[in-house]
Amino acid sequence: MKPLIRIKNIWKSYGDKQILKEINLDIMPGQLICIVGASGCGKTTLLNLVGGFLKADQGQIDLQGQKINKPSSQCIMVFQEFDQLFAWKTVRKNVEFPLKKIRKNCSPKELRECVSHYLKLVKLSDYENYYPAQLSGGMKQRTALARALALTPKVLLMDEPFGSLDAQTKNELQESLLEIREKTQTTILFVTHDIREAMVLADRIVVLKSGRIMEIIDNQSKDRSLENKITSLLSP
Amino acid sequence: MRIREFFLKPYSKLVWILLMMLAWELVAKFAPVSALAFPSLQQIFKALFDSIKNGELVYQMLFSLTLILEGLFIGVVLAFIMSFLSVVSKVFESFTDTCVSIFHPLPGIALLPLIILWIGTGTSAILFVIVHSVLWPMILNMNAGFKSIPDVYRKIGDNYEFSRFQSMIRIFIPAALTYLLAGLKISWARGWRAVISAEMIFGASGSIGGIGWYIFNRRVFMDTAGVYAGILVIIAVGILVEDFIFGKIEKNTIKKWGLS
Amino acid sequence: MKKLMLVILMVMVLFSTACTQTAGEGQTIRIAEQYGIAYAPVQIMKEKGFLEENYPGIEISWEQLSNTAAIREAMVADRLDVGFMAIPPFLIGSENGMEWKIATGLSSVPTGLVATDAIQSLSDFSESDRIALPQPGSVQHILLAMACDREFSDPTKLDNNLVTLSHPDGMSALLAGGEITAHFTSTPYLQKELAETGFHEIISGQEAFGGQFSFIVGVTTNKFHDENPELYDAFVKSVQEAIDFINQNPQEAAAILADVYDLSEEELLTYITAEDTDYSQTVKGIQTFSDFMVKTGYLETGISNPEAATWENVVYED
Repeated sequence: MKPLIRIKNIWKSYGDKQILKEINLDIMPGQLICIVGASGCGKTTLLNLVGGFLKADQGQIDLQGQKINKPSSQCIMVFQEFDQLFAWKTVRKNVEFPLKKIRKNCSPKELRECVSHYLKLVKLSDYENYYPAQLSGGMKQRTALARALALTPKVLLMDEPFGSLDAQTKNELQESLLEIREKTQTTILFVTHDIREAMVLADRIVVLKSGRIMEIIDNQSKDRSLENKITSLLSP
Repeated sequence: MRIREFFLKPYSKLVWILLMMLAWELVAKFAPVSALAFPSLQQIFKALFDSIKNGELVYQMLFSLTLILEGLFIGVVLAFIMSFLSVVSKVFESFTDTCVSIFHPLPGIALLPLIILWIGTGTSAILFVIVHSVLWPMILNMNAGFKSIPDVYRKIGDNYEFSRFQSMIRIFIPAALTYLLAGLKISWARGWRAVISAEMIFGASGSIGGIGWYIFNRRVFMDTAGVYAGILVIIAVGILVEDFIFGKIEKNTIKKWGLS
Repeated sequence: MKKLMLVILMVMVLFSTACTQTAGEGQTIRIAEQYGIAYAPVQIMKEKGFLEENYPGIEISWEQLSNTAAIREAMVADRLDVGFMAIPPFLIGSENGMEWKIATGLSSVPTGLVATDAIQSLSDFSESDRIALPQPGSVQHILLAMACDREFSDPTKLDNNLVTLSHPDGMSALLAGGEITAHFTSTPYLQKELAETGFHEIISGQEAFGGQFSFIVGVTTNKFHDENPELYDAFVKSVQEAIDFINQNPQEAAAILADVYDLSEEELLTYITAEDTDYSQTVKGIQTFSDFMVKTGYLETGISNPEAATWENVVYED
């Protein structure tokens, strides 16, 4: 099976500071990969490179054999910030807005059904006419997730999407994400600094330290003992 | 009802206005002042109704309002173009910043002698003054608004394959609406003042004149009650626009979205 | 309810203190100081100290006010005892209840309608031409209405072509060559505009009026006249002395005025000795102005005779 995304020898620096060094990674279709690392280790930069928001100094990232050189609706990003939702649109309109733009040929009825489907998936069917300001943090992130999923991107890029949520909400959302992924088989690249989160979610965990991949750990067994290993890998 | 609560109700403005009118009337009636300085309310309202009845005041107010709407429209479009170019290009941004710091503190009225030389004295000159007073605060607010937009919106726009212009229209403008409305309110207030001052200096070109001209004319013919009538109309328009038009817009947008 | 009463009371106090304040008593006279050739005797009176001489111990407060409307308003507010203005604004004030009368004539100066060479007479004005003049109800406006009345039997014929501009702005606008193609103005703007090529005078103030008239007169409030008869007499006498001084020593007067007005002595001498510049205490043309303004609706009642609008000392001609 061919990898969906192939990251080949990526180097990236900001001024004098080398952020990423010699990154190589293949992502298979349907995989959920978590990148863990301390803040400032370059994980968000890597995600932005895959999304096409940044250009690498060296190396190349391919999506199905095609070089990624600008952002596109094939790789949709979900952010940590709650204000990623459009405050002036209801939950339904938030999901519908990009969909209308990308799926120009859909009839209004098809659009409506599509939006309803994804709102149901993230369990927000009852809140579709709410404005973002009326939602809790968890509901906002669910909306953002629905908005991204509705576009059926090849890859979902998630930048610590649950980082600002309380523990309970976080658990609920992690569960939902796993369910959704089970149903949609979406390929997900998920960035987090929370080792436990990575262990709950990931098929494979990429441990990133000071811009270098230390190890890529297979997590399909969800073996608890891995936590100590990752912790020690990340300790200075 | 406690007095404090009484003044916290939405109609408190009305109560204050009535109190001021009462004080006015008492002064006009009982204080040793000339009726030429302090005409009674009765005289003022008579002047007001006479002018409304013969259509003069209504016509002149519409004239001023048309002018300011035109000016606002031109000013907002220009401000939008300059802000848009500033978002796109850093070089243009420094040009805009320079223009704003030069022209923003400059009252349009101070330019009047030059405006007479450049474009004469017609309505286009008054329009120029209005656009001048609308443009700079609008640009300031637009720029502040666009700068306040979270970076994720820019990324989201790119991610959903919107062009810069589409992002501007569909994402940045609504995202900055709080600032845009604030800018529009300031611009309206400045423009309204500018149009009245300009009319009072230029007077009327031809037979038509605005509300400023109405006041000026009353003044030179020593009709003090008429001057006050004109001022009342200006106040009424101000309150109407502020409370009803802008109030409605805010209620249906930023207040509804929970942005203010 | 007590609190409310307190608030109302405070508002009332605020309003009433703002407008009941009266001028300081004692022997002071407050005169509006204005610049221009037509006001030359006022300046001479000030510089030569004639009033101080005629009324020892008097304190003169010279007030700077920009235009006739401001002078009128200052007199309503009892901030001013004496003002100088043209006859039409004086008549408008009287009609609206100003308690004042003319104390003296002051001057007649050249005044006239200057237009571009394309316009040769009043009938040449088209709809798109604009005539600048100081303001509706000003002497220039009334003179233009008189000219239109004479020419077309319609005093308002050119009213739709008027633009209100101060003398200097009007001159700039005329010389800039925009839609302003004519300017009804007075000394020294009149001469300055005529000195430029491409401009000429269509009609002079005297032609429009149909004779001599006082361009500027001195006005005092009833209060001042009644309460300070001696000071009033001294004021009138001082104006006469100033007028005599200019007429008898024009060279010296020009030298004094040159400093004040920041103009050259020669230029000033030309202006104050010009054939149609005349400084005199005789009030000319008041009845004619009044009758015309009543006829054309600028005044409702006007004055029945010059005596109704002038103090006992005034000599008038019509």
